[in-house]
Amino acid sequence: MRALLTRNLRDPRFRLLAGALALVALTFVLGPLPLTRTGVAVLAIVDITGSMNVRDYAGAEGKPVSRLETAKAALRDLVAALPCGSRLALGLFTERRPFLLFTPIEVCGDFSPLDGALAALDWRMAWEGDSRISAGLFRAVDMAAELDTDLLFLTDGQEAPPLPSTGGPVFDGKPGAVRGLIVGTGGYALSPIPRFNDRGRETGFYGSGDVQQENRFGPPPADAESREGYNPRNAPFGGAAATGSEHLSSVREPYLKRLSGETGLTYAHLDGPGGLVRPLLAAATPRPLPGSLDLRPFLGGGALALLVAVFASPLLPLLAGTLPPGGPRRFATWKKA
Amino acid sequence: MNDALARFSVATPLILWLLPLALLPLWRSAQRLVPVASIAAGPADGLSRAIGWTLRLAGLLAIGGLILALAGPYRNGETVTRTGIGAQVSILVDRSGSMNETFAGRQPSGAEESKAAASRRLLGDFVGSRAHDQFAVTAFSTAPMLVVPMTDRHEAVRAAIRAIDRPGLDYTNVARGLAMGLSQFGTQGAQVSRALLLVSDGAAVIDPRVQGDLRAAFAKIRPNLYWLFLRTKGSPSISDKPVGEDTPQAAPERHLDLFFKSLGTPYRAFEAEGPEAVAAAIRQIEALERDPIPYTEQRPRRDLSGFAFGLSLFGLVLLVAGKLAEADIRRARGSVAPSAAEAPPRRMAA
Repeated sequence: MRALLTRNLRDPRFRLLAGALALVALTFVLGPLPLTRTGVAVLAIVDITGSMNVRDYAGAEGKPVSRLETAKAALRDLVAALPCGSRLALGLFTERRPFLLFTPIEVCGDFSPLDGALAALDWRMAWEGDSRISAGLFRAVDMAAELDTDLLFLTDGQEAPPLPSTGGPVFDGKPGAVRGLIVGTGGYALSPIPRFNDRGRETGFYGSGDVQQENRFGPPPADAESREGYNPRNAPFGGAAATGSEHLSSVREPYLKRLSGETGLTYAHLDGPGGLVRPLLAAATPRPLPGSLDLRPFLGGGALALLVAVFASPLLPLLAGTLPPGGPRRFATWKKA
Repeated sequence: MNDALARFSVATPLILWLLPLALLPLWRSAQRLVPVASIAAGPADGLSRAIGWTLRLAGLLAIGGLILALAGPYRNGETVTRTGIGAQVSILVDRSGSMNETFAGRQPSGAEESKAAASRRLLGDFVGSRAHDQFAVTAFSTAPMLVVPMTDRHEAVRAAIRAIDRPGLDYTNVARGLAMGLSQFGTQGAQVSRALLLVSDGAAVIDPRVQGDLRAAFAKIRPNLYWLFLRTKGSPSISDKPVGEDTPQAAPERHLDLFFKSLGTPYRAFEAEGPEAVAAAIRQIEALERDPIPYTEQRPRRDLSGFAFGLSLFGLVLLVAGKLAEADIRRARGSVAPSAAEAPPRRMAA
């Protein structure tokens, strides 16, 4: 009897089975392993100025979708994909400043109000029509520093009115003190900007005469003297009305890249209603979050491998050693009693 | 039956593609192969057959249970509706620039508190003081802004309230703000107590064209309306009649009050000239809004992988027992007399 038992105990397949049994039993004993995960805390500022209404993204079935809708969809996708414990604050940008809607909210537990707030973003929330991107961006950087978050600034980069020839405001903060992402929103080709009446109904598109094509505040540009009809006193910007394509809009990528260089942020282009997670996680400050690792899948996976090895081993001639010594030719014979 | 099944789900369904592996034990055994000249020589034995099938099923259970456990089975969480005491409160906050001044109409300095900071502190205490209140936050200046939709997640509401003492915007356009504040209640039945809390330090003329729309919305939703008027010292009160012509342009506060009174919904105005008065007003509102409110409770989803591991463990115990009880016909004959108990595994293994 003992000899039988020792033989059974020595059987490799018994050992594999016993190993699997031990692993599965361990799943009931071992608790989750505490460890630190990385999350982010980010302030998302969404440009809601007029040029964000340009429909130059293709949605489902090729229907044109506005930049703002695409940016909203991308943010909702981001919130759903961020690791639990990450936090998001939301603000609007128009005129020349960001406006904070709420301080950071946790993305999992408070997902539904967060998602609802993102879905409710609307260009009609804008309190003024100007779009001074650089001024807004610099103040958004300050706001992010104050909230102790990173910055996610979604804009198409179209300054309205255009920057004067002397250039825009200068960033006086420390570049790189706030990390984050400037997300260029919009297509690369020029598209018309929808126009709305004072009841908020769409009435067509902006024409070239409807918008300021050149900023004529401040000193004239250096080349003004060579312009037609130039007069230093009466026509310092030349005699002709300014022409240009400010009534059309595309993502101003070189400008946004320059701004991101000045502020130490990273630039990324928004290609569709998603895909913000990877660039954000790469650009943002990793913040430690308490997490836990469930060990059971590993134990269970090991046990499964052992079990499959047990049952699949007769298929492998290599494991034929499990047959009784002497090989298969030594038949058991039965004698008549 | 289908409903009951629909409540079960797995986290990574792709792993379930491994399930055919669970059929391996039906095909190959874990027991030792003992070559027998003719299996027909042994008598058919019911017990052996039963043990054979038990071991096969145990193998199936062990592998199948493990694969199921790895896929992460769970029972869906569910939402339970209960009744508590509370109200749906839509908070409508004025974010115009003047809210950042003190009650004395100055820029805050030292220990002074701006109107926005006082309302932030006191509203923050109000939110979350009762577990089942639901809140929505709307801000308005020139345009209304939906900040947080109606929710019972008080931490999110407090995050929205923490933002209200940041620098404000231009003007006070109360009509559009009211319309959005009302829209936050949604369209569902009005069995719950609803309160619209307007926090502002001034008023504006409501365009007569919009007045009709607002009246209709108030009549439909019928919220209790509270106006927390943060009055700057020396500025006209709600009840002050202007010296000259009594027009909405001359005394917007008084005319907004008159408009609210004409709505036919329960309405109270609180005129607060300092943080203490604001706190007293909020306490009163809290006491007034005491009605049953249905609230939903989210039961978390339940992880069932423990059960699957248990099944697998059961199968494994049987398999290991089968291996331990394995007897070899040749050796058995040499050492101990073959008994009925030792015979079955041998037959099964053949």
